Amino acid sequence: MTVSLVARNLVKHYGGVIALSDANLEVQSGQVVALVGANGSGKSTLSKIINGVVVLDGGQLLLDGHAVRFSSPQAAKRLGISTVFQELSLIPQMTVAENIWLTREPLRVGSLVDAKSIRKQTKELLTLFEGTFKSTLHPDAAVASLPPDEKQIIEILKAISFDPRLIILDEATASLDNRQVERLFQLVNQWKQSHKAIIFVSHRMEEIFRIADNYSVLRNGVTVGAGAIKDVNDRDLVELMVGTEAAVNVVQRKRQGAQKSTDRHLRLEVTDLQTDVLKGIGFQLHDGELLGIGGLKGQGQRDLLLALFGDLPYTGSVSLSGETVRFKHPHQAIEKGIALVPGERAREGLLFIRSILENLFAPSWREYGFPLRVGRARSDGLKMTTRLNLKMAGLDEPVSSLSGGNAQKVVIGKWLLRKPKLLLLDDPTKGVDVGTKAEFYKLLAQLCEQGTAILFYSSDDEELIGLCDCVLVLHDGIIRSTLSGETLNKSNLIAASLGASNEEAR
Amino acid sequence: MNQLRWSAFTAKRPYLFVLLLLIVTVAVNFVFQPGLFERNTLNSNMRVFLPAILVAAGQAVVVLAGGIDISVGSIVSIVNTILVTQLGTNASPEQTTLWMAIVLGVGMLAGAVNGFFIAYLRLQPIITTYATSFLYAGIALYILPNPGGAIPATLSSFYRDTTPIGLPLAFFVIAVILVGWYVLQQTRYGRYLYAVGGQPEAAYATAVPVSRVLFSTYVISGLMSGLAGIAITLLLSSGNAGNGDALTLTSITAVVVGGTALRGGIGGVAGPIIGAIILGLMKNVISFANVDLWWQTFVNAAIIVLALAAPGVIDLFRRRRL
Repeated sequence: MTVSLVARNLVKHYGGVIALSDANLEVQSGQVVALVGANGSGKSTLSKIINGVVVLDGGQLLLDGHAVRFSSPQAAKRLGISTVFQELSLIPQMTVAENIWLTREPLRVGSLVDAKSIRKQTKELLTLFEGTFKSTLHPDAAVASLPPDEKQIIEILKAISFDPRLIILDEATASLDNRQVERLFQLVNQWKQSHKAIIFVSHRMEEIFRIADNYSVLRNGVTVGAGAIKDVNDRDLVELMVGTEAAVNVVQRKRQGAQKSTDRHLRLEVTDLQTDVLKGIGFQLHDGELLGIGGLKGQGQRDLLLALFGDLPYTGSVSLSGETVRFKHPHQAIEKGIALVPGERAREGLLFIRSILENLFAPSWREYGFPLRVGRARSDGLKMTTRLNLKMAGLDEPVSSLSGGNAQKVVIGKWLLRKPKLLLLDDPTKGVDVGTKAEFYKLLAQLCEQGTAILFYSSDDEELIGLCDCVLVLHDGIIRSTLSGETLNKSNLIAASLGASNEEAR
Repeated sequence: MNQLRWSAFTAKRPYLFVLLLLIVTVAVNFVFQPGLFERNTLNSNMRVFLPAILVAAGQAVVVLAGGIDISVGSIVSIVNTILVTQLGTNASPEQTTLWMAIVLGVGMLAGAVNGFFIAYLRLQPIITTYATSFLYAGIALYILPNPGGAIPATLSSFYRDTTPIGLPLAFFVIAVILVGWYVLQQTRYGRYLYAVGGQPEAAYATAVPVSRVLFSTYVISGLMSGLAGIAITLLLSSGNAGNGDALTLTSITAVVVGGTALRGGIGGVAGPIIGAIILGLMKNVISFANVDLWWQTFVNAAIIVLALAAPGVIDLFRRRRL
């Protein structure tokens, strides 16, 4: 059962915005093609054309040599094309089993859904990822109650449950931990052997080089390069993605090194902080220090940041510049000079349909009097967007017109405008393109030099190692390990991330 | 694990709470009306409740799929006015059957108009059906400007006196709906209803025919309104362009009381049916307790507001806990 898919000169407009102007892609049975590109380069649009979610405006899509044109996801699915969606396509209120088999429920007499066989087949599918769940995953569990990584796995299982010929993995590894990624890659290799074709969309270079056979690079809606992955290295790919802009050496920051942090002002001190997830966290953070939080996904990193920001009830003590505080609402934290750049910018960080100006000043309008001095806000806003190198048509454009990386700059900008003393960052570079990441690293270094204390959670180990003075590795709600200086390297970080569960695995 | 089973158990049976509420209401009613379970009292109660039960069942399907139908009352009125003007006291059984079929068709057509606007033109359900409710109310008023009209006496006595094996006719109608719903739930269409109500974008990406499912729910609601229109006509034996009005709020309240979430994706039809019965019983209690009937509307509206506010209030307390 072989398959081949060729996309030629694909064009797609959304209103006046051109998402794709000349996209090309070729994939065959037994191949993994990595589709790479900066944010807003059209990767998602290209995959959505292939799986029928979006209808193309021009160009040709050939499946097994025949021209096809999908008017709906049903049509693509019927021909064996399956997708693991970045935003997930799960119904939270329905159970794991119901979600996986939606629209393809096994039927018994009288076209009734065969619940028993659904449950059985779901259990079989779940064994593919057995041992990587935090607890036993039950086919009747409601999807809403699952952590993000398990939702992602259900999404993957759903996509492969109908034995597709072509699988699109759109950022499928973004919320998975190391073990789960490992298992997924084993599966991908099995799929290759059973002659499936795989399109792998990812930002993680390391993964691309591990799993892909070929690559295809998109830049601003145009395919700018394609070939065998063994002929290139990550620098080549990054250069293709960023184009003429100089490809920057990704992570590097001059650490404060000699200057002892204890000489500086103690900004934040946390003792025995506990929430539903956290089981007693304590640390100190000084001005000008960049403290990293690492570990597998969902070990309490998000809870820690939210608790400090007054968005989550906790027990334990938190003191800010020596003064014990207990925030009940984020606005109290904001008043004390704390800012949180949230993890899900679409949901928590931005008002998508409103203008860039309004988004930037959402937390700061109070400083602009009554009636609002919009003129002054406008000039302050322009200064900020210039500083962040935000690419936009104007301050009055809606945020929805920006690409992912630029939208994230708006989130960061809106908090920088408040000149925070303590900046909490929740995986701020997730799904952000390489160029923006580099700018962002420079910005962090700059803020540290100016004396801002930064607490930085990242799911990207390279970032933590390259940027942070010190990294707290969380595992199962406690600080498993504190790494700095010599001990801050990749193998230590991964070992600490896996914590006790690593020893169990052995 | 046990807790998971329990929450899965209750999630699959959203009518458990409403069943409890039913027992309480019946008990209170029983105090005022000790003969509640006598054959005649039971029958007269149930035949009064039946129109609301039918409308609530249709409304539940719409709400499950994430919509709302505010035009149900007006559709009932149209059906009522058509029947009393076309049948009169001397209609033959053939004519009666024909007009019954026609009004059901009219109900479905009215629902299809709603469905077309909402599913295919993607207009907001609440605005669309609010607007069409005036349209349909206007049509009903055009058909029957002044209260009046009549139906054959045999029809009203059939509705009043039919009690197979000693049980009210309404019980059998409810049984048919519940069996139908039970079967429907186990078809793909049933799953689609929950999927569309739960997360329409995800359902679309999973290749669920979202528009068709949405459209169908309004047709079903129209059909149930048509049936309710027949029931109310048989009950009242006369027509009035405003006869269905009160049923809109009642049906939505019944859905809420019945544990079907207004945001869609959670619940079923059994709960709303019981909800409609509870509301009927409460109306009885209010009339026995000698308070003004407008209290009924007040209670209905208060239930909706409370149901909407409850999750928010709980969350507020949870936040203040620490």
